Amino acid sequence: MNNFIDYKLIELGQWAVGLFNDYPVVQILVHLLLATLPLALAFMAAFGFSTWLERKGLARIQNRPGPNRVGIFGLLQPLADGIKMLLKEDIVPDRSDKLFHLLAPVMLMVPAFIAIGFLPLGDGLMSLPLDSAILFFFAVGSLNTIAVFMAGWSSRNKYSLLGGMRAVAQMISYEIPLVLSAVTVIMIAGSLSAQEIVASQQIESWLASGNLVKEFFGQILGWHIFKPWGFAGFIFFFVAALAEANRSPFDLPEADSEIIAGHLTEYSGFKYAIFFMAEYISAFAISGIAVTLFLGGWSGPVIAGLPWFIIKIFSLFAVMIWIRGTLPRLRVDQLMGYAWKFLLPLAILNIFVAGFYYFSEQQFGGLTTFIGGWIIGFAILQTAAKGLSRLNKSPTINGKRVYQLVE
Amino acid sequence: MTVAFYILAAIAVLGAVMAIALRNVVHAVFSVLLFFSALAGLFILLLAEFIAAVQILVYIGSVGILMLFAIMLTTKVTGDPTHNLLSRGWAWGALVAGALLLAFLVPLITQTQSETISKLSNFNPSVKDLGMILMDPYFASMGVIALLLTAGLIAAVVAASSASEE
Amino acid sequence: MEITLNHYLILSAVLFTIGLIGALMRRHIIIMLICLEIMLNAANLNLIAFWHYGPNPIMLHGPLFTLFTIAIAATEAALGLALVLAIYRHFKTVDLEQVQDLKE
Repeated sequence: MNNFIDYKLIELGQWAVGLFNDYPVVQILVHLLLATLPLALAFMAAFGFSTWLERKGLARIQNRPGPNRVGIFGLLQPLADGIKMLLKEDIVPDRSDKLFHLLAPVMLMVPAFIAIGFLPLGDGLMSLPLDSAILFFFAVGSLNTIAVFMAGWSSRNKYSLLGGMRAVAQMISYEIPLVLSAVTVIMIAGSLSAQEIVASQQIESWLASGNLVKEFFGQILGWHIFKPWGFAGFIFFFVAALAEANRSPFDLPEADSEIIAGHLTEYSGFKYAIFFMAEYISAFAISGIAVTLFLGGWSGPVIAGLPWFIIKIFSLFAVMIWIRGTLPRLRVDQLMGYAWKFLLPLAILNIFVAGFYYFSEQQFGGLTTFIGGWIIGFAILQTAAKGLSRLNKSPTINGKRVYQLVE
Repeated sequence: MTVAFYILAAIAVLGAVMAIALRNVVHAVFSVLLFFSALAGLFILLLAEFIAAVQILVYIGSVGILMLFAIMLTTKVTGDPTHNLLSRGWAWGALVAGALLLAFLVPLITQTQSETISKLSNFNPSVKDLGMILMDPYFASMGVIALLLTAGLIAAVVAASSASEE
Repeated sequence: MEITLNHYLILSAVLFTIGLIGALMRRHIIIMLICLEIMLNAANLNLIAFWHYGPNPIMLHGPLFTLFTIAIAATEAALGLALVLAIYRHFKTVDLEQVQDLKE
């Protein structure tokens, strides 16, 4: 009952590939198409829906109705936006580097779509089931930085260049806490492969016991977010993911009140739409990896498999929209200080807490470790966080103010 | 397999040649990034996928961005970064040296008996095995690399900030 | 035609030669560092090719050695670029033929 839809989809795929049993070359092509095309189309449709969701969500947080003229509740607004973007004039600056100006949106979109392939969508439903899938995900995620730099550089505009450099500095600074908090999960799960990480979050002994209550909770309580290192790791990963995807409160590179639009200044029309789409799809991909690493992937109590995974991705995306509507933007030095002086030491400390929790689980057993590990792990991380934030406070807060008056 | 090898080899050679021949430094850096990706593809062909991922992550994601930052910080911001830095005399000498090296290496390679069958046909190397040998026999090497990376990081920070001490 | 070890070795030799020509020919510091990276990558390709076609690939020595080489090359690139910044601050140029004075 649980993974019903997954098995049906796998059967459908095998039937479709089996139609071409006489032509092996065509069979390989059909296999490849089935592994990639439905995913790309589904995520593009999800992108359209998510733009509507974001505008409505932000509007309601800001106490206004949002787009409601185009369809019922404004549901055809993404279509209208798409038509507008397609018909806008494509202005390319005269002195710009035309090849790289054209190449930058493409180079941002390709890693976003490749990264989707590494998500374990269901039981056996994975587009690229590699042995080192998580490492490949971070590797193609680092290609985003090159694309942003290419966009900032090719416009030959000093504001674009400065905005592009700030964006690149932000993205490379936040890659480190991102990867370090994923490293704790990889260390405990023992593998870089996404299916094994999802399998390590299901308590096997409870699932096979036959007791209905234990089966119900065995699918949930094994999630890494319920362990102290997993909870802290999830928070660090989510904050770093917000910064990687250039979303608020880290959207300094593309904020309107900042340095025009940063690296996106000279882009109009369809190229801007491609940038937009690439950012949203990479936000989906990174929340998909957050779900895989910390929230149990596709495992769930009653509905499991693909629909549950999609519900989890959309709820994380809704949290991203909520944070965007609520928190103010960080300044660039606050942003960099936060990554290097706060998140990085805490992420390293998290690795130690994870190791300590793992070995005490082997020594003392499940329940004692759960209570004791939470208390001790929480105490360590909380003291470290408070100590670091006190160290990093700027001296004028609670101190004597120095006024510089115009003479 | 053969087609993939030839395509990737052609892209790698093209990327390397453009990297040394282009005048615009930023274009040269982007073509060497193309070279790195072609090399990652060749590593995947040789069934070393972990090394391919590390190549993309380290070379394209870190070293490439380092080079771009260094170009940014060492040229004027809106100036044209094309430098016609090609010493005439050195060019011919370098080409002769390169041709001599190739003339030495290629016969050396083609005259030895070549292996055709890869011994990896019934063994799929996994990342776990690499982790196990990093821990058990080669732990000291990993420690040395870690110390080296830390020392390099500190040295780079000190070297790049030397102006503030004057 | 099967891809043999010789194909990879010749490709690696050609790439190494291209890197060498570039390092000798250009005067811009950053292009010289790029050519250094090209040479190191050609050596890595050699290592992995020998591991793949070698007598005992189960021991995973090829990827291990390559991992160390990549780490060392990245460190060296970082240090080299930091030195480039220091040189630019002092000599105000990236042309290596102008960097001729010793410290007074």
